[in-house]
Amino acid sequence: MIPAYLDALASALSFDPSLSRRVRQEVEDHLLDAVAADPARDRREAERQAVARFGEPHAIAAEFTRVAAARQARSLAAAIVVMVFVVFIAMKARVAWYAATAWTMAEDMRPAGGIVLLIDRYAFWTSVLLAIAGFAYMVGRRIPPALHRARDRYFRHASLLCAIATAALVVSVISDGLLTAFQLRGAQWSTQSLIPIFSMALEVACVGVLGWQIRAITRKAACARALENRCSL
Amino acid sequence: MEGEMLKGHLDMIVLAALAAGPAHGYAVIERIRRNSGQAFDLPEGTIYPALHRLEQAALLSSRWVTAESGRRRRVYALTRRGERALAERRAVWQQFSDAIGGLLQGARPRRRPA
Repeated sequence: MIPAYLDALASALSFDPSLSRRVRQEVEDHLLDAVAADPARDRREAERQAVARFGEPHAIAAEFTRVAAARQARSLAAAIVVMVFVVFIAMKARVAWYAATAWTMAEDMRPAGGIVLLIDRYAFWTSVLLAIAGFAYMVGRRIPPALHRARDRYFRHASLLCAIATAALVVSVISDGLLTAFQLRGAQWSTQSLIPIFSMALEVACVGVLGWQIRAITRKAACARALENRCSL
Repeated sequence: MEGEMLKGHLDMIVLAALAAGPAHGYAVIERIRRNSGQAFDLPEGTIYPALHRLEQAALLSSRWVTAESGRRRRVYALTRRGERALAERRAVWQQFSDAIGGLLQGARPRRRPA
């Protein structure tokens, strides 16, 4: 009975193998202690009671999933601030390189470049402000206690700030990509071209890391909801 | 005691149970049961997500130890931050409890004059 219970719990947490292993080992230890402390002579009955006292595996897995999602949301808030900073450095390095090599944009690309540059600036500074706001919100406020509606509200607000900051950063990186393409258009390919391409690749990688983290959090949140729904059926 | 009422104070209950010293999950539950005079009887599984959450908030630390039986178990301990958080929550709870106590005493039905 205990192995079947542990399998159900571990499989519900399979989205995070290390968490699943840790929880399995902790719960197994708990259940074996509970069986050993049970005065009932029938081991099967003692196991049944230990499992019943522990609670519904999907409800417990849902709570673990929420804890894991919360941890990842906090690290996302910090990651956004770091990534915005890295994108800023990459942008500045590229502009400095253009200035140092007296590399100017082709005449016919300048009107479009002006519009894209405007979009880039607004998107970037929006992402800076929202990234700082999201980080300050998550770090500066105490997380409300578990099972309180305020806790869900707290993570909803923080996730919204992080999502909009990331979206603004994505717009900024796309704009940077267009500006780099405008700059490279018609230019002779040489080793000098590698600097803007490399800095763009760095920006795309930053956005990719954030996208991957957001996807993981969304999956965990969906997983927690599915487990909760399963319990309430 | 009402389960929902208990869940609302679960973090404080777990911190208080660990104030006596480091313990693994099963021992935490035993302490809660014993120290509450058997009044707190939560589904045991609810304690573990709370332990993980409090560890994530740096209020607890944990490590694997090998018991005499040879089994590996996770032992939790209060951190400095956890001790401070418990002291704060204890003070808030005391204030709340005094206020409710005063209100309930004042709300006792008076005997009608003969």
